[in-house]
Amino acid sequence: MPSIVCSAQASYKKLPGLLELTDTHLQWTKTGDQSPVVKFPYAEAAALSRSKAGAEQVRLKIGLVSNEAGHNFTFTSPQAVALAERDKFEAELTTIIARNRAPPPQAQFPAVATSKARQVATPAPVTNGSAAGTPMRPPAPHARPSQSRAVSVASESRASDTPVGDSPTTDFRLRKKVLVSTPELAQLHRELVMGGHITENEFWEGREHLLLAQAAAESQKRGKPGQLVDPRPQSVDGEVKIIITPQLVHDIFEEFPVVAKAYSENVPEKLSEAEFWSRYFQSRLFNAHRASIRSSAAQHVVKDDPILDKYLEKDDDDIEPRRLREERVDTFIDLGATSVDHEETGNERDITMQAGKQRAVLPLIRKFNEHSTRLLDTALGGPSVKRRRLENGEERYAQLDLEDLHDNQSSAGIILDMKDRQRYFDGRANGAEQGDPEGPRVAFREALQQAKASTTGWSANLAQLRIEKKAGDAALISMTQNVQSRLDVKQRKHDIPEALFRQMTTCQTAANEFLRQFWLAIYPPANEFQQLSVATPAQKTAKALKMIAYLSKTHEKVEALVAEAQREQVDPNRIRVAMKPILDAVDKALSFWQFKNADKAPGVR
Amino acid sequence: MKFFIDDLPIIFPYDRIYPEQYAYMCDLKRTLDATGHCLLEMPSGTGKTVSLLSLIVSYQQFYPTKRKLIYCSRTVPEIEKALSELQRLMDYRRDCAETDEQREKEKNFYGIGLTSRKNLCIHPEVSKEKKGKVVDARCRDLTNSAVCTKGRENPGSVELCDWHENLGKLEPGNLIPPGIWTLADVLQHGRENKICPYFLVRRMMPFVDVIIYSFHYLLDPKVAEQVSKELTKDAIVVFDEAHNIDNVCIESLSIDLTRPMLDSAARSVVKLGDNIDEIKKTDASKLQDEYAKLVEGLQEASNDEDAFVSNPVLPEDLLKEAIPGNIRKAEHFVAFLKRFVEYLKTRMRVLHVVAETPLSFLQHLKDITYIERRPLRFCAERLQSLVRTLELSRLDELSSLQKVASFATLVATYEKGFLLILEPFETDNATVPNPIFHLTCLDPSIAIKPVFERFSSVVITSGTLSPLDMYPKMLQFTPVVQETYSMTLTRNSFLPLVITRGSDQVAISSRFEVRNDPAVVRNFGSILIEYSKIVPDGIVAFFPSYLYMESIVAAWNDMGILNEVWKHKLIFVETPDANETSIALENYRRACDNGRGAVLLSVARGKVSEGIDFDHNYGRAVIMFGVPYQYTESRILKARLEYLRDAYRIRESEFLGFDAMRNAAQCVGRVLRGKTDWGLMVFADKRFARADKRAKLPRWINQYITETASNLSTDMALTLSKQFMRMISQNPNENQTGISLWTLEDIEKAQAKQKELALLQEVERRDTALMDADDDDEYGDGGIDDEALGAIDLDV
Repeated sequence: MPSIVCSAQASYKKLPGLLELTDTHLQWTKTGDQSPVVKFPYAEAAALSRSKAGAEQVRLKIGLVSNEAGHNFTFTSPQAVALAERDKFEAELTTIIARNRAPPPQAQFPAVATSKARQVATPAPVTNGSAAGTPMRPPAPHARPSQSRAVSVASESRASDTPVGDSPTTDFRLRKKVLVSTPELAQLHRELVMGGHITENEFWEGREHLLLAQAAAESQKRGKPGQLVDPRPQSVDGEVKIIITPQLVHDIFEEFPVVAKAYSENVPEKLSEAEFWSRYFQSRLFNAHRASIRSSAAQHVVKDDPILDKYLEKDDDDIEPRRLREERVDTFIDLGATSVDHEETGNERDITMQAGKQRAVLPLIRKFNEHSTRLLDTALGGPSVKRRRLENGEERYAQLDLEDLHDNQSSAGIILDMKDRQRYFDGRANGAEQGDPEGPRVAFREALQQAKASTTGWSANLAQLRIEKKAGDAALISMTQNVQSRLDVKQRKHDIPEALFRQMTTCQTAANEFLRQFWLAIYPPANEFQQLSVATPAQKTAKALKMIAYLSKTHEKVEALVAEAQREQVDPNRIRVAMKPILDAVDKALSFWQFKNADKAPGVR
Repeated sequence: MKFFIDDLPIIFPYDRIYPEQYAYMCDLKRTLDATGHCLLEMPSGTGKTVSLLSLIVSYQQFYPTKRKLIYCSRTVPEIEKALSELQRLMDYRRDCAETDEQREKEKNFYGIGLTSRKNLCIHPEVSKEKKGKVVDARCRDLTNSAVCTKGRENPGSVELCDWHENLGKLEPGNLIPPGIWTLADVLQHGRENKICPYFLVRRMMPFVDVIIYSFHYLLDPKVAEQVSKELTKDAIVVFDEAHNIDNVCIESLSIDLTRPMLDSAARSVVKLGDNIDEIKKTDASKLQDEYAKLVEGLQEASNDEDAFVSNPVLPEDLLKEAIPGNIRKAEHFVAFLKRFVEYLKTRMRVLHVVAETPLSFLQHLKDITYIERRPLRFCAERLQSLVRTLELSRLDELSSLQKVASFATLVATYEKGFLLILEPFETDNATVPNPIFHLTCLDPSIAIKPVFERFSSVVITSGTLSPLDMYPKMLQFTPVVQETYSMTLTRNSFLPLVITRGSDQVAISSRFEVRNDPAVVRNFGSILIEYSKIVPDGIVAFFPSYLYMESIVAAWNDMGILNEVWKHKLIFVETPDANETSIALENYRRACDNGRGAVLLSVARGKVSEGIDFDHNYGRAVIMFGVPYQYTESRILKARLEYLRDAYRIRESEFLGFDAMRNAAQCVGRVLRGKTDWGLMVFADKRFARADKRAKLPRWINQYITETASNLSTDMALTLSKQFMRMISQNPNENQTGISLWTLEDIEKAQAKQKELALLQEVERRDTALMDADDDDEYGDGGIDDEALGAIDLDV
């Protein structure tokens, strides 16, 4: 059993039950039931809100990534106990949600997680038992722990022919997703793999890019939303209030470290939590943090607050900012260098062109810049590194380069790896040298005379030119026929019976897939993308043999189709024509195989 | 590639060339051959700088005269870019050199860039100073010749700058190995060898082949006098990105005085007096020496590097005569200054606006204080002499007094083209006086005249110089070549769109009366929202003024518009502080590189609009919110318009429209670099739809504004933009070579064709000449021939 982090009596949809937080999931089990009714992994948790401090019922609402409405739990224990329980859940879930919202790089992971949550990071095999029992939701794109779990789940259910590995190409879940998203592929899969013609792995061989693309799409983390943290009062039942949710608190702390500082210094010694927030939202500090310059209108609402006013900073509304990073930026965008390049001369700029005339806007503008920078830093993992020296060479030139003015760089090509290459070239060079004295030398005069002689009387020749009538007519007729037949095809209706047509398509796609598998086995592997498994030559031969066996049946199948067509009273020739290209391709493969074996046979044996 | 224009071998550091680059180089060569001035408008992002440098360096290296190149640009980033471009060109030339001799010649080619002490100082303490002025002053204290002699005679007695001292030990003219040195390179070289980069560049200037610095170093007489005096007459002067050159000219001769400045000047005068008293007690002979020199009218042959208050007037307007008697004595001069400052202070007390000519100002001054014009003219020069005699330190504290002296000299030197405007209040509704005394130059041709006269070839070039005839009129010069190039494109790589109304059909405009109308603000906002949804990577938005940007940012925030934008992109905003903006810009670029995408809000004519490129992913769309007109209520602008009308017959509306459109074009032009780059250019104002406005845009932009795209609502513009982006994201199938890209063969083909054409014309001319002769015969029936007809003085 998974270890339980905390649990409490809680009702869900007015039914009593037990709410449990395991180290991977949050689940709720109805009293008397065995398996949980509500269950979702940590990664699903997206939002958290709770009932007010003094409210009659102690409630906790959890919003999910896939379902914003979320679940509502009411703690049913006596008030005091319920409150304590709720706080515990809240504390745990807040960290989880915070982690979900800003998935940090792997290295940072343990540092962020609390000691209890740390167990989560290493997927415990125990969890699989329970996870496999419930229908699995598609985990959220950015859920790392769940992803690794999915792999192990896959390994259990399909141990037979699915090799276990970390690479996305072997991930069953990914394969399933790809199949679900492309019905044609799913159909093929159903026929060939489920039909037992080829194995699962063989099917995916050569299709790794689909899996990789899917994995890449899934592993793309959702960044932090860009909006400013700006709690705006909402009017609820005629009363204007600001609703505080745990993640709002988290956001405020992150956006305004000074509030976090004030909170840690004053709560709970001097102020209770509720008191702190109600005072904060009425304080000057909050007003200074609001992203609006209209807040001056709300000045009269603002109260003096001896505690919070201590944390108030002077408005950052000077022409020069209060805080400025010391190091210089790249010279190519260094505006400061221009401003000190020469002494200020001339008349002052007119009133509309003096920057920072509206002082109240400056803190707002700075807030935008800082906020953007902060978002960027969290996304890129830290502020920009100093790399001025590095930029000097190549990168600098790259900024100036007009790339389309360069000649297309033709690739060097692959050098033909040949035994005794040097000798080969030597031999040629020798031969060329020997041949040189006679070969290319042309007797110019003679050639010229010949050319001249050949052109004498050209106009007379031209006049005598007769084009044979027959050939011209033939060409014209054939062209007309071509047009006619095209028109014919266009006008003719699609009259092959549905069932037969489907059979034809199936036959065609199956043969195609066999061909693909066959050639894949014949050709050397492409090294560009990850391979499922590197097959040994013996395996390859075996596979090719198998495919050939399948392929050689294609003719029979087509014949069967033709027979079927006759039964259905469809012109069998049309079937033949339709299947001709695939038969040609199959024949080509077959003859190749025969030729190869015939060629090989004496050598091997 | 290497090719020939006439007999001149050109080395161009790419395998191919744009046809407009080739045409540009041909015209440039024509100018240099004719030793005249030219005006060339070349589309943004088509490699103007590299063509220019490539031709001129080829020219310098081929002809034995070795004309020096003085390349002026607007901003330090642009200077650095030009230097890097030159560096790359020279690397390429070296690789291309055919003989060792040639290679040696390319290796010995010198190119450097000059900027202020603040940007080049590596002294550990001085360089920490925040203000350029303070760095200058502290540097002078450590490096001026008086201190240096003292320090060298008696080591340890005064503090000297080691870096400067080390530089002095090197052989002049050989301070740095030959090559092209970017500003970063020079700084690095200075750090490694412990020598002063600033003086290194200053002292190498006479020996280098290419010098790159900002406009001010050539146009502002206060700086040019120190820095650019020794440049030879046959030098080739290039003003790149010169669309605002008239403003630089005007700025360099204009001065503002405020009340705090006058107070500070008065304090400095008192301090000067104290210093004189002191020196009288300790070393009276110094003052006497100075007096004697002034009596004899000796222009002190001072070291240029020491100069601090150089003369604010142009060299030819300097009086080459002795300083007048009544200010020769130090104490007399101090009293004189005191009286003048007092006078200015009294004038500042007036509570109504005054506009007067320099002559009327001088008359009034004379009536009240008996200060004559002549001594006033020598004010700056006399102050410089006194400061040198007193061996003062920390001259930055004297900067206000220096301004007053410059003001005095300017106002007493120029009668025409200047105006004095006293504005007691900052705005019309302000109640607390904050007086400013503007001495404003109205005529840009005054400052640039010496440049045109002194240098034989001056090249004025930019991406936006339309309409071309405006510049020769304003700057009073006759170009030998005047050309604008269109952009050859195999497919339209940029899409200019004019949005005249929002999706709700409300007309949008930044016109003063409607600009704060909520409907307009909301419609502007929805343009930004919609574009931030559909455009990848970076979007740059420009506003007509700081005031408008600041108010609209606040309004958008309150309307929740920015919240919508945050959902799609990060937001960065230009701030008043240059360094802060640079950091915002850097982060903006990181966001674009990272794929998160960002919006940069900035101001046309502002810091960002000049010299920063938004090519490729750094700017997939530029949105110009409103027409960037200047503030027409400005008295200085009004005076300037009046002057332009009276002196050059340029109508007010014509100039205002021209000025707005050149800035708009400048903003949108920054999205392109090369022909594979692409971008959207959105002009959001109904006034852009007017044909007379659009006619003032450069041809290369205007030619791609289709009739449908010139009057759009937001939703229509979005549809077009989406279509365009879908189209441009396809791989171009057609081969650009031959049309918008030329190989060497294409050049030769074009040259052959041209030659043929020229030959044909020659033949034709001869033919017509013959025909003309025939003509006369044809009408030989007693009729009057054309010439005779023309000669008759008909009395109509």
